[in-house]
Amino acid sequence: MLRYIIGRLLSILLTFFVVSLIVFLMMHSVPGGPFDGNDMPVSDAVKAKLNASLGLDKPLYEQYLRYMWGVLHFDFGVPFQSPGETVTELLARAWPPSLILGGSGVLIGAPLGILMGMAAALRRNTWFDYLVSAVSTLGLTIPVFVISMMLIMVFSVWLNWLPAGGWEKPYSWILPITAYAAVPMATYARYTRSAMLDVMTKPFVTVLRAKGLSERRIIFQHVLRNAALPLVTVFLPMFIGTATGSIFVEAMFRVPGLGAYFVSSIELRDYPLEMSLILMITMMFCVAYLISDIVYALLNPRIRFGGKS
Amino acid sequence: MTAPVLELRNLSKTFQLPRKGGWFAGHIDHHAVRDVSLTLPRNTILGLVGESGSGKSTTGLMTMRLMEPTSGRILIDGADITALTPAELKPYRRQMQIVFQDSYSALDPMMTLARIVAEPLHIHGIGRAEEQTEQALAMLDRVGLHRSYGQRYPHELSGGQRQRVAIARALILRPQVLVADEPTSALDVSVKAQIINLLLDLQQEMGLSILFISHDLSVVRSLTDRVAVMFNGRIVETAATETIFSDARHPYTQGLLSAIPVLNPSDRRPRRFLTADEIERGIPRLPGAGPTPALHQVSPGHLVEAVAG
Amino acid sequence: MSQTRSPLYFALRRFADNKAAVVSGIILGVILLMAIFAPLITPTGYADQDYLTEALSFPSSQHWMGIDDLGRDFFTRIVYGARVSLSIGFSAALFAVLIGIPLGAIAGFYGGWADWIVMRLIELFSVVPPLLAAMLLGALTNGGFFTIVLIASLFGWVQVCLLVRAQVKAFREKEFVRAAQALGASPGYIIRRHLIPNSISPIIVGFVLAIPLAMMLEASLSFLGIGVPPPVPSWGQMINVGMDFMYFYWHLAVFPTLALAVTVLATTLLGDGLRDALDPTLKGR
Repeated sequence: MLRYIIGRLLSILLTFFVVSLIVFLMMHSVPGGPFDGNDMPVSDAVKAKLNASLGLDKPLYEQYLRYMWGVLHFDFGVPFQSPGETVTELLARAWPPSLILGGSGVLIGAPLGILMGMAAALRRNTWFDYLVSAVSTLGLTIPVFVISMMLIMVFSVWLNWLPAGGWEKPYSWILPITAYAAVPMATYARYTRSAMLDVMTKPFVTVLRAKGLSERRIIFQHVLRNAALPLVTVFLPMFIGTATGSIFVEAMFRVPGLGAYFVSSIELRDYPLEMSLILMITMMFCVAYLISDIVYALLNPRIRFGGKS
Repeated sequence: MTAPVLELRNLSKTFQLPRKGGWFAGHIDHHAVRDVSLTLPRNTILGLVGESGSGKSTTGLMTMRLMEPTSGRILIDGADITALTPAELKPYRRQMQIVFQDSYSALDPMMTLARIVAEPLHIHGIGRAEEQTEQALAMLDRVGLHRSYGQRYPHELSGGQRQRVAIARALILRPQVLVADEPTSALDVSVKAQIINLLLDLQQEMGLSILFISHDLSVVRSLTDRVAVMFNGRIVETAATETIFSDARHPYTQGLLSAIPVLNPSDRRPRRFLTADEIERGIPRLPGAGPTPALHQVSPGHLVEAVAG
Repeated sequence: MSQTRSPLYFALRRFADNKAAVVSGIILGVILLMAIFAPLITPTGYADQDYLTEALSFPSSQHWMGIDDLGRDFFTRIVYGARVSLSIGFSAALFAVLIGIPLGAIAGFYGGWADWIVMRLIELFSVVPPLLAAMLLGALTNGGFFTIVLIASLFGWVQVCLLVRAQVKAFREKEFVRAAQALGASPGYIIRRHLIPNSISPIIVGFVLAIPLAMMLEASLSFLGIGVPPPVPSWGQMINVGMDFMYFYWHLAVFPTLALAVTVLATTLLGDGLRDALDPTLKGR
């Protein structure tokens, strides 16, 4: 077990290192620095000085090492687009709206999806089951900005019930959170349904029934416990996914969150902000997968005692 | 006298199994096959019998160079093939072929029977495509499947028919040696008899030598010229088939024989169920044998594992 | 047993029983035909501003989906948008399969170190959010058709690779592989002649399911303005423009949204149907 965790940890560290290296090299391989644009004309001397003050004149490997050293101390540098603050401060300012949006999306969508999936599995092949399947397929296949678009068209444009954008008043949160909740809901509805059906057809459930156990106890004590395993493991990565998934929702509903800065950092070639965003999200995914793997191993005795290398 | 068509000299196979208890616990050596020597004279059938796990299938796989022996040598027609590279080995592959127990997984489900049987010709580049197909159909005919079966797929056949196809594929190259790894143990009794008769016919017709691996003593008795009995990875007794059935000396062989069901209740002998320890302790003590258990000749051509006593 | 039937025949029969998949297949076929014969069914070229005086007019009998803000027939734009979306979807899926098959086959067949390396590579692509990486790459290269195909296949091969790897791993131990080895067949021969033909179901499934992913990626990037450059029509880019007009000219937002939703949905349902038909054991994953 310990060996399994250490193995996973090492492989994830390696992955993280490779990702950071690739991102770093990619950002520097493009011609043009942040001060090459025409909208901010600066003389060559000033440009050189600016580049030197930001460390852009050093050799590549040194820039990388300096950057990674900083990252280890939570120092992500200064964003080019707003030099008055650090990347960390900017993120601290931009993250809360994204977190509220993504967090409530997942926290509303996931339980709803689980309930839908359970109900669909218990009423297999009824109209309700088909409805859940249809809704979850829609939620999983249609891009989130299309869902947002449909919500806006119906509830803002035609019915005029809710605002189509903004973040100031809580009721303007309703539509973006709904749009965001669609994906976790659809994912969980689908996973729960298939996991429950999977367990319900196992011979041991037939044995429980033959034993005379009530259907309620079979479902809640035995089926759910066995079906929960795959559900637990997708939760954390999905939660982290809020960070990227929200880009489009934020763009559609004009939410001043992380997504807006990511888009602008790419347009403005804002290396520090861009790198820290990608690195932080990658790192969070790494940690999420590691925790999921460990939780999975802890819950699953078949892995806990050997098996899966 | 010419060299035997197949000879195994002191063949051993050791698997290293990881020991429980973490990183530095090391591994356990599992001796699947120990010091096995066998001779298969031309135009004979040698039975290799023993319970599952006795190492007889491992011996068969090593004979075919499908598994690398830990030590020992394999000789085909007097030529040592133990250390040949795959390219050097390829001409010898024409001399020896194998038929497996599970006829279902032994045939590629995506191929027609004609292609399956023609595959050896294809791999060895013998003849043009039409000639290969023609030969394959003729071979199918020879093993008792009408030529029209050539266009069928394995899933359309019964177990016995599939085993006929596997035999046709093994024999189309006209090899000298056939390793038959429990070819009849998954079949019904009546089908079993048909396959045995087919093997006997083909053996006589083609001058074939067969290493017949089985745990089914009644089949072995009706088919083989000589028998070698394997127990716990080593050969404990070998003799002409009739000698084994009339004059078994090793306690393990005697145990195996007593397990054969008999038709006439008055012939029933008391069964002897022996544990592995009892067998090890019951190794015959014979004057003239060495201090450690080793094969010892008791009469011409009859060898039994024995110790000095 | 008068007629002999290959395993694929039964898969086809199972597929025909799945109504949703068959309908999706037909819808996708119609969209595909429209995309191929776009010049024959549309009145103008996709960039022709022939109706400037009627800009932003609503759907009518002449212009089924109205006119856009720059005086172009919107139906023409939507149909050509299908061309862009489908060609990116199909070529990305093709490349994804071309990368995924050899890597999956090698990892599954050889195991050990080869498998370890391929699995770490897959892990690399699973921790990097594809959208962010795509945005970064798109921004660095200023988008364009080939960049999007490249990015989409870069993130699309993982699924194909995993499917092929699992299948090859399961079949590597089968005795017909051993029999071929006993005949002196090389690993390359065994992979080509036995293992890949037996992986045809996961390959088809992986191919079809990679299409909607690539289409979504294209739409998302174009929506953000780093996808296919205008005036080439892309549904994602049209949705972005449509947003600005949606309160007054609903057709500019509704038609591209519907077109994208229907196409992606139909492709996904077709892929799901094929998966269920080709390999009943994969169902519901």
